[in-house]
Amino acid sequence: MAHFDTEYQRLEASYSDSPPGEENLLMHVPEGVKSQWHHIENLDLIFLNTSYVYNLHQKNGFTCMLLGEIFELVQLLFVVGFTVFLANCVDYDVLFANKFVNHTDSSKVTLPDAFLPVDVCSARIRNNAFVIFVLIISGVFWLHRLIKFIYNVCCYWEIRSFYINALKMTMSELPYATWQEVQARIVEIQKEHQICIHKKELTELDIYHRILRFKNYMVAMVNKSLLPVRFRLPVLGEYVFYTRGLKYNFELIFFWGPGSLFENEWSLKQEYKRGGNRLELADRLASRILWIGIANLLLCPVILVWQILYAFFSYTEVIKREPGSLGARCWSLYGRCYLRHFNELDHELMSRLSKGYKAASKYMNCFLSPLLTVVAKNVAFFAGSLLAVLIALTIYDEDVLAVEHVLSSITLLGVCITICRSFIPDKHMVFCPEQLLRVILAHIHYMPDHWQGNAHRYETRDQFSQLFQYKAVFILEELLSPVVTPIILIFCLRRKSLEIIDFFRNFTVEVVGVGDTCSFAQMDIRQHGHPAWMSEGKTEASIYQQAEDGKTELSLMHFAITNPQWQPPRETTHFISQLKERVHREATGAPSDTHPMSLSESEPRSLIANLLTGPSTLASVHFDRDISLANHAAAGINDGGSALRSLSPISSSLHLRGSLSAAHRAAGHTSRTMAGSGTDARTVSSGSSAWEGQLTSLVLSEYASTEMSIHALYMHELHKQQSRGEMSRHTWHRQESDESSDSIPDEVRSEPILHSRNFPRSHTFPTTVPSPSGPTAQSSSQRHHSGPTTGTYVFGCLHVCQWEDGQAAPRHHEPLPEESSEDEMPPHIHKVNALSFCVYCGLHHILCISACILPLGKKV
Amino acid sequence: MNCRSEVLEVTVEARQVEEAMLALLHTILLHRSTGKFHYKKEGTYSIGTVGTQDIDCDFIDFTFVRVSSEELDRMIRKAVSEFKDALSNSGSDGMGQISLEFYQKKKSRWPFSDECIPWEVWSIKVNVVNLANEQERQICREKVGEKLGEKVINVVEVINRHEYLPKMPTQSEVDNVFDTTLKDVQPYLYKITYQITDSLGTSVSTTMRRLIKDTLAL
Repeated sequence: MAHFDTEYQRLEASYSDSPPGEENLLMHVPEGVKSQWHHIENLDLIFLNTSYVYNLHQKNGFTCMLLGEIFELVQLLFVVGFTVFLANCVDYDVLFANKFVNHTDSSKVTLPDAFLPVDVCSARIRNNAFVIFVLIISGVFWLHRLIKFIYNVCCYWEIRSFYINALKMTMSELPYATWQEVQARIVEIQKEHQICIHKKELTELDIYHRILRFKNYMVAMVNKSLLPVRFRLPVLGEYVFYTRGLKYNFELIFFWGPGSLFENEWSLKQEYKRGGNRLELADRLASRILWIGIANLLLCPVILVWQILYAFFSYTEVIKREPGSLGARCWSLYGRCYLRHFNELDHELMSRLSKGYKAASKYMNCFLSPLLTVVAKNVAFFAGSLLAVLIALTIYDEDVLAVEHVLSSITLLGVCITICRSFIPDKHMVFCPEQLLRVILAHIHYMPDHWQGNAHRYETRDQFSQLFQYKAVFILEELLSPVVTPIILIFCLRRKSLEIIDFFRNFTVEVVGVGDTCSFAQMDIRQHGHPAWMSEGKTEASIYQQAEDGKTELSLMHFAITNPQWQPPRETTHFISQLKERVHREATGAPSDTHPMSLSESEPRSLIANLLTGPSTLASVHFDRDISLANHAAAGINDGGSALRSLSPISSSLHLRGSLSAAHRAAGHTSRTMAGSGTDARTVSSGSSAWEGQLTSLVLSEYASTEMSIHALYMHELHKQQSRGEMSRHTWHRQESDESSDSIPDEVRSEPILHSRNFPRSHTFPTTVPSPSGPTAQSSSQRHHSGPTTGTYVFGCLHVCQWEDGQAAPRHHEPLPEESSEDEMPPHIHKVNALSFCVYCGLHHILCISACILPLGKKV
Repeated sequence: MNCRSEVLEVTVEARQVEEAMLALLHTILLHRSTGKFHYKKEGTYSIGTVGTQDIDCDFIDFTFVRVSSEELDRMIRKAVSEFKDALSNSGSDGMGQISLEFYQKKKSRWPFSDECIPWEVWSIKVNVVNLANEQERQICREKVGEKLGEKVINVVEVINRHEYLPKMPTQSEVDNVFDTTLKDVQPYLYKITYQITDSLGTSVSTTMRRLIKDTLAL
């Protein structure tokens, strides 16, 4: 009883707004303390700006970015200031020695003599209205840039702390980390901190979508030929005009300018998502385009002056140093848009295009006009003889240089000769455009259908030059851009406003946690697949919805290969694995089909075989080198061996086209040496694992790009055959094209079942292909080591290396004959540093690397 | 973009607007409030109690539960009555939207003001109807009550989902997550805004803000 009383009293006494004894009962620990990271609230901002994260990575960290931006600002000031100074403050008469300067002490003219006094100078500037105008405009522009710079620095500072605190990467190691690593960490972070509140886990695709939201739209618009960049001009024929200025204006109109279609960085305005008042919206867009066009027109003189100055200061030095650079080519802006996959980051695109550069310029050089060549040869001869005399005189007595205009004529003659030389074809070059184009295709992944088989025609070359233009033309276009842009905007783009409105309405999907994205970028073959590109039966897209040139399918493959961790939707997975299986099966089936027997057949059964052999004309091209190639091939099979099913036939094909029969003859030799390399591989793989992850990831990404090349080639080949079949059926049997679409899978399925067992369904790259006993696998030694999956990996890696550098690896086994120097070899795939490095280190190192890949490959 | 948004739609009579809004907003806030935090020593805290209270509506057959905090009630009532006035003054067809936005504050360095990052937005779209006679009003009274009951269940369902909530803050950061100005209860930081149909499109201030931000972020 007493106990009861006391209890009651205590309650009374300790009454407060919280119940008594709570201190002991409900104690909470705030979560904020546990993570020593105080940026939880920043995550949102960071997540919105994933593109900043990417940019900072691409700009190699904060310091580099900061310095770069500061120098850009300084450069701007310098360009303007220096130009004004040159125009107003220099007494050129003194410089050209037209005016006598009287010095008391010496007769030498110094640079300061040529400067006008400050007061004269400023008076001249003040009296010149145009200069004042330019100064004001550039001042405003500079201030704008300065504010933007400060804003950017603040943003990037946040991102920097995000990198350091959340991703645990210091700025110093950032330049050496691949984007894939950064991305993997972001995905990891999401699991821990839930940056994006909509879903538990982030996928790679989400991140790509955020970074590339607008670029995907642009790629899709170029793909569907919505943007007015192609023009039919009276003299030049079909011409593609797409400059940075034009691109900037497009983006201004669609994405972020005042009154653009997008409400903010991630969502399209509501009214544009509804079809109700599309006409009214189109009118509004048209008038906006008109206004922006007029603004462009008004600003045209300023931009023009700016472009000229900028071009002058940035290119003059380069042209003086290497005049040949004007004859060099570069991938045009349009080409970059046309060749870009959906969801392909800048660095991925750039590395792909750079790899194709050599082959592309070789291809373009095949088409030098004979007329020009004759003229150039003679001009070069005359200019050369003059130059020779002048140089000889100068060497004899350097006073010759003091004679008026001798130095300038030497320079001019030099430039002239260099230009001429670029029109004279290389003596040792072989005209094999078809083959070159195929190598290019392996890297650029896209080309119009009618190029196939027409590589030697001038039309193809002209169209290719739209993607791959002269640098000089590029600069010229940039200079013209301020004048042309308003015209295009006002007269061409405005007419398309309704189509644009429809495009954005039809092809925008809202993805939870990402916002509005271009539906093409979802890479859903059901929605946007093209029946002629392997998605027959799977696609439900109307012609309007189909992406052209197999963009959906190729992008899908590209994304799946570059991001092996990505889990695509089920149907998509099915498509990917099916395609991979086909490629593997074809690859394994190939050696048997490239037997001389099948070469003689008019239509090879295997597509890959067709890929390998190429047009029959190629065989004759290489005939003279057949012996060397046979050696080469033998060496190839030595190393890669037929154990490598996933890669070897195709990769070696790039070297060995048309001479595989020779390779078969050397097969006896092959099987003997193969046993040796097999044991080698296994000992190494068990022994070493201490290689940096850096190199591994590089090699892996190299793998990925190789695999993508193979897939791209394969898909193009299949597409070619399919469309050919469709065409013939259409003409001969008058059937609906839809019905004929089933023919190809049957053809593929009719491949020898012998090779088609147990192919991996996963879409990771270093696949564990159990080597089927192909025709070259008769030897017991081969079966001996190709059983374990490790062997396959090793050969895979090895063969990539060998493909990258055709000479070095074979040389290890037996030296090649002299005549197989690089010039005469079939076109090469661009070397990659890491790989050529490993080639130089010798075969053993290669094996080490591949051994290193093994665990990784298994993991993924 | 990085925030959940939930939309509720109700159709009510003019005199029911206030109560309906209060019912919904209070229901949401009931689930988004905690007791006051009492930080003991570094790293731990205890949570005070929250009282609840049943409120009967006058114009609707409906009873809802709210946090028994006069201060909170006053603030919400103020916002809702402003909304009601704006709605009746607008003279348009009586459409409006009131939104309750939960946000986190982010401290910024000197030149910039603190940034508010929303993580959940509840938008209640209101459609006001005019009824001809008492009979209809009576029916409406019951129907709105039922509808509101559904909405409340809807709200509870959404809140029961295991989704993102700001993490519990330390003492120094508590102001960035919770509204600590109230004496007896501590809701997550919230903001009530409303729009009347005319201005649903774009208001001048947002356009201007967009413009400036766009220019900066070229």
